[in-house]
Amino acid sequence: MILKIALKELKEIVREGRFRITAITLFALLLAALFVSKSYYTSVNAQHSEAKKNARSEWVEQGQKNPHSAAHYGTYAFKPKYPLSLIDNGVDKYTGVSIYLEAHKRNEAQYAAAQDQTALSRFGDLTPDFVLIFIVPLFIILIGFNAFTRERESGTLRLLKSQGVSTWKLTMGKWLGIFLPVLLIAIPVYVLAALFLANIKDYGQFSLWALTLLFGVYLIYYAVFINITLFVSSLFKKSNLAFVTLLGIWMVSCLAMPKISTAIADKLYPYPTQVEFEEQIAADKKKGLDGHNPWNTEAKKLEEETLKKYGVDSVQQLPFNWDGFLMQEGEKHTADIYFKHYQLLKDTYVNQTNVYRSTAALSPFLPTRFLSMAICRTDYTSHWDFANAAENYRIELVGKMNGDMAANSKYGDWDYLADDKLWSSVPDFQYEPTSYTTVIRQNTSNLITLLAWLLLSFAALYGAVTQMKTI
Amino acid sequence: MLKHTIKYEWLNLLRDRWVMILLILFLGITVFAVRNGKEKVEDRMATITKEKEKMGKLDRRMAAEIDSLNNNLKPAPEPWQDPRALDNIGWDAPRVVAMDAQPLAVVSTGQSDLFTHYAKPKIYGEAYTLGFSELSNPVQLLFGSFDLAFVCIYLLPLLVLGFSYNVLSSEKESGVLRLTLAQPISLYQWLFGKLLLRFFILTVIVVASILFSLTIFGIEWMGNMGAAMKLILLVTVYIFFWFLISFLINLLGNSSGSNAVTLIAVWVVFVLLIPSIISQTANSFYPVPSRTIMIHEYREAKALAEKKADEILKTYYREHPEYAPKDTTQQNQYSWWLGNFAASDVINQSVQPVLDDYNEALNRQQNWVNRLRFLSPAILLQDGLNDLAGTSPTHYTDFRNQVIAFANTWRHYFIPRMFNNEKMRAEDFGCLPTHSYSSAQVPSHYLADLMGLLFFLTLAIGGSLWVYRKNRFENVFSV
Repeated sequence: MILKIALKELKEIVREGRFRITAITLFALLLAALFVSKSYYTSVNAQHSEAKKNARSEWVEQGQKNPHSAAHYGTYAFKPKYPLSLIDNGVDKYTGVSIYLEAHKRNEAQYAAAQDQTALSRFGDLTPDFVLIFIVPLFIILIGFNAFTRERESGTLRLLKSQGVSTWKLTMGKWLGIFLPVLLIAIPVYVLAALFLANIKDYGQFSLWALTLLFGVYLIYYAVFINITLFVSSLFKKSNLAFVTLLGIWMVSCLAMPKISTAIADKLYPYPTQVEFEEQIAADKKKGLDGHNPWNTEAKKLEEETLKKYGVDSVQQLPFNWDGFLMQEGEKHTADIYFKHYQLLKDTYVNQTNVYRSTAALSPFLPTRFLSMAICRTDYTSHWDFANAAENYRIELVGKMNGDMAANSKYGDWDYLADDKLWSSVPDFQYEPTSYTTVIRQNTSNLITLLAWLLLSFAALYGAVTQMKTI
Repeated sequence: MLKHTIKYEWLNLLRDRWVMILLILFLGITVFAVRNGKEKVEDRMATITKEKEKMGKLDRRMAAEIDSLNNNLKPAPEPWQDPRALDNIGWDAPRVVAMDAQPLAVVSTGQSDLFTHYAKPKIYGEAYTLGFSELSNPVQLLFGSFDLAFVCIYLLPLLVLGFSYNVLSSEKESGVLRLTLAQPISLYQWLFGKLLLRFFILTVIVVASILFSLTIFGIEWMGNMGAAMKLILLVTVYIFFWFLISFLINLLGNSSGSNAVTLIAVWVVFVLLIPSIISQTANSFYPVPSRTIMIHEYREAKALAEKKADEILKTYYREHPEYAPKDTTQQNQYSWWLGNFAASDVINQSVQPVLDDYNEALNRQQNWVNRLRFLSPAILLQDGLNDLAGTSPTHYTDFRNQVIAFANTWRHYFIPRMFNNEKMRAEDFGCLPTHSYSSAQVPSHYLADLMGLLFFLTLAIGGSLWVYRKNRFENVFSV
């Protein structure tokens, strides 16, 4: 029975011009988005590997230098682009792509694409996620808003009732009637995306499982919207009102809520400005060891302690170069300061994230958006993870430089030069993204919220249709 | 007769609950949006003020220290902490170059959440490394802010459509249309009158809400009547465009439901699809040149210049004898800095082509995108509002150039004094170069945006006339 109703609904929907036009448009948009994203992804990836190669050769071929000068010269860490970013580009446009790694200083990722683009880019890009998360729900509303109101307006609802069809079966039939066309559009996109991704050279990072999970999340999201659409349609007598109400719901959950949550998060847990942040760090640095300034009180204290430890009375008599040692101690100290301040920043970010997680109760769009970005590894958490890995690499690199200087040169000998043997002994920066188990664990709350939306909207729909009046 | 029907319509609307709901709803949204904008602008101005105060305090402290050092009240500090040394002033006491908010900055966040609004260029350093990016949660940037621009660009059209989608169809569906058209009036004029009335009511609500919100948050719009009028004009034209679209769709004579669907489709196309398609295709077909590649080229050019520095420097000294180290009996205390400036000039000259090439490629891309804004009224409105708020990308590029120019002024204030081996005096703090921001030289897009919107108006009117001529009354009566 359910299937029969679903087929009837499907036939009716497909026969309507409105459906055909929108479905074809939607499909064309998705295809275009997929192709355009793919070409973008390929070109960005090519740039990335070229930049990575350049940075490495710059580092290795920097010529003879004092190791500490080499640490100042530094190198770059580049953020890899993951295959799934071609479905959802997430916040990638707004985070920097490269981090300059140098002695004494932790730098922020630089060169976010959005900064070089015009204000137009703030409207959003035609990427698959834009169509899948924004437009498909509109499509669902468009084909489903009059599912019940139409029957009511033409009086067929009473007829159906007299035939003895249970309203729940009727509802399930209508539900499937909307879900099937959506599935019909989503499946080819899924298959195509899988084909694209499988043909990308660095296949290593891509897993079909993640793509399937991603589409699973989208399908749950669509189910929520179908529930809401049918729920509203069963409440109203007139199609017009049902449509306007649904549109309002779409607007609030997809357009307004993200922005309202942002305003709340920003109000409750504001980020420091770049300069404030830098000044707090500078203030802390001033108090502590300064690797370049042997007159600093902290440095003086360390000198006394070290001399005592080695039982000598001047730094010249130490078995290593005091300058190199002091600079490494200073480096450790600044690294701790950066760690502390970045931890504070991270606390703010976690608090902001929690605001979004609680407002997700008011909009199914939010948990879907966050899950989608997380699975595609284009969310802010992935960026943090990358930045932390780069920082660890920086500490290691600078430590190796200072260590070499301490071990192989004498105090006051700034003419000591190391060469490419030392440079190439530093391993290239390799970044392994967090495992999917961790990603899922980090997003449990989003997953639960989305599932709660699914269950509650089903329950609401059930409640509404079983009490539905036929007139 | 037309007068009567319009008057009847007016009375009808006044008694409609909808108008009241609309007024309250819109007022609430606008107040919230302006509050958000105001908060951002206040933060921005507070940081700038704080920074300037800090600078003033430092100046006074340094001046006092110079006085006490000159009067031998204090032992001389380490050379790199001596405030009498010009290089220390140039490095440790930079001026604050700030981009003050425009009076109407609350209207549109624009690009202001991406960039910092002040910089402190120092005596030494490469201009391109000056950081302008603001620290922020990228999720916030992705979602964007709930500002007046968002309300006008996205929500206003939906209000217009909700207010007018069934102007004709509801009359038809209730059967009143036949009665009305039995009167000696033209359908076109009558419908236009009805919509004009609604347009008038909505515009009054919108303008009143905007002005009210600006007033309660203490934004000086009366003192900036010109800008305020420009804002109202732009928004009014945008509202009118959407009413005309509704008029056009109503004239097609379909049912209310079908009108609503069509109008939403038009909204999706203009507000969501066209902007995102342009933005995405611009990225693919006219990609922003890669910064990472540019940095590599920059570093290579720099390394090359450094390797050849001695050789190049000799030529350079021949061309700029004023920089050349002079063999005088009195050692210049700034000789290291002067040599450094000369070397960095040489390096900067040799890497300039890399930067120029990059900026040119960037400009080409941005110009192309700028031209495509005429494809959607939503982009035109966004551009116009950013222009009025002083938060457009052009404003930020201009500010960056002003900072770079000031960095040069700052350095060249010190260079001649360093050559004379002068010292900083306490009274010099009053005559250090300062910068005052002005956006006067930013070319305004406003007029072009307004023209673009008017062009869309004309298109909509032309379209409605054509539809009306084409299917006259046929569809209207086929109930």
